[in-house]
Amino acid sequence: MRLYMKNPQNVFLTGFYWAFVAYLFVPLMLMTAMSFKDSNFISFPIDSFTMKWYVQVVQDEQFLSAVGYSLMIAFIVTVVATAIGVWIALLASNEAIWGKALIFALACLPAVVPGMIQAISMRIFIRAIDVPTGTFAIILGHTVHAVPFVVIMAMTRLRSMPSNLVDAARDLGADNFIAFFRVTLPYLGPALVGGMIFCALTSIDDFVRTFFLGGYQTTLPMLIFAKISGGMSPEINAMATLVLIATGAIGLYAERRVRRSRN
Amino acid sequence: MTKDVLAGSGQGVKKGRTRYAGWIGTLARSPLYRGTIGLLAESRVARLAALLAVPLAWIAFFNIGPILQMANISLLANYPLMDGDEPVYTLSQYALFFQESLYFMPFLRSVVFSVAVTAATLIVVYPVAYYIGKVIRPASRNRALLLLLTPFWAGEIIRVFSVIMLLANRGAVNALLREFGIIDRPIPMLYTYFSLSFGVVYLIALYMLLPLYSSIEKIPNSLLDAASDLGAGPLQRFRRVILPLSRDGIVSGCSLVFLTTIGVFAAPLLLGGPNTVIFPEIIAQLFHGSNDKWPAGAAFSIIMLLISLTTVGLFVRVVGGRNVKLM
Repeated sequence: MRLYMKNPQNVFLTGFYWAFVAYLFVPLMLMTAMSFKDSNFISFPIDSFTMKWYVQVVQDEQFLSAVGYSLMIAFIVTVVATAIGVWIALLASNEAIWGKALIFALACLPAVVPGMIQAISMRIFIRAIDVPTGTFAIILGHTVHAVPFVVIMAMTRLRSMPSNLVDAARDLGADNFIAFFRVTLPYLGPALVGGMIFCALTSIDDFVRTFFLGGYQTTLPMLIFAKISGGMSPEINAMATLVLIATGAIGLYAERRVRRSRN
Repeated sequence: MTKDVLAGSGQGVKKGRTRYAGWIGTLARSPLYRGTIGLLAESRVARLAALLAVPLAWIAFFNIGPILQMANISLLANYPLMDGDEPVYTLSQYALFFQESLYFMPFLRSVVFSVAVTAATLIVVYPVAYYIGKVIRPASRNRALLLLLTPFWAGEIIRVFSVIMLLANRGAVNALLREFGIIDRPIPMLYTYFSLSFGVVYLIALYMLLPLYSSIEKIPNSLLDAASDLGAGPLQRFRRVILPLSRDGIVSGCSLVFLTTIGVFAAPLLLGGPNTVIFPEIIAQLFHGSNDKWPAGAAFSIIMLLISLTTVGLFVRVVGGRNVKLM
């Protein structure tokens, strides 16, 4: 019990924790505050406020089409990565397979290769298989990056699954596929939904892969990057704030869901 | 859920033909499905192939393939290959890296920078992870952790942009300092190593936080109490109990942070300046413009990949815990 008592070092640690919270939140808050500034330039202090940047952003064709494009890519990436990831997880947690540790390690390779190098190797690879830069290349790059996270999430959940569930289904006459769809998949369900949301968010947030694999159509991060590099106005802040709120809320929801499913 | 499955099958057995309801039933009765199942039931090889084919093809084609192709191109003397060209292999791109300080120095800077950022992140995040794992009540741990995780769901670019808000010449810090009359002229903080490391730590702190937290949280409180009862002061308790027992977390956190930092790309583009050119930018330049620079870019990427993975491998070996997980 002594641990939870107030003593000098715990007071220090409490202060440190809140300082760290400030470190994480203050820049984002400043960015949000700037989105209400009534001026064409980004500079502090903010003396007058307006909503006009938000009005401008939600009418901005470029922004809306980037949102649509990013969502479309994220959707396909999530569906494909989930299917492949669960498949690999089933394989790597199958008792009868020889070398599952190696399969697992290789399946997780894209998660440990530094992002920049992965992007470059994909850029070289799509040229070798004659795929042009553009939508398909982006989807491929994002999916390769997302699969390991699904594998890990699915395997963590599979490990806690009593094997007699599937045995029971088999005894009652279900074949392999039915047993998978009606027993294993529902058991994976909660963890998988969280994992899928993470896949979608990492795809929406991704910059470096899109930078090397993208074509002329811009995704959301590319659009914001282009706007930052090409002179700034508070419109970027409004745009970034909208994206921040959306992704933050979805991420928080997924995180809570996954943590609950683990307990 | 188990009950549901059992009930469903029981009903099915009674009715005979309608064994499954809904789309699963439609699927199960279709000739294609029955044929496939029949084949799988007969042959063990077919069963194995069905489980193995797609995952192995995916891993070979998309996880290993790109790296191999990159290695292949890094050895080519004549690239891009025209029709009928025979590939000529050479190590000259690798030699170029070690001869040319234009390439070698940014690489060294990158490694030193990544090591420094990793150390800084460890020092900043450790107290936070310890606070969440041991100081606060277990019931509020999840909430304290979620509060820290939320900002990380904003994308890389957005977080880098928000750092600009803070550090720019007309940013919040300079405005505040001027308001209080501490400075007349803004302190240039952006486009320096300071802004770059500030931004990179901001981007990657999470990769340190989660492994550290999960290893610190697992340390039994009884051990900490025992250390105190035996007369250990806070410092000695930290050095001899907490630190060694959180080694797994330190090793995985540092490995992840190092690997992410060395491949960081967006942050140096927006927060770095002419003095902070680090290796990923050099590689990226080789891929813009004409194709004939690709072998050099590929060779440099391979060098960077090998050295960063060996560094992490050695680190895990030397410091290593029993149960180091990179995920």
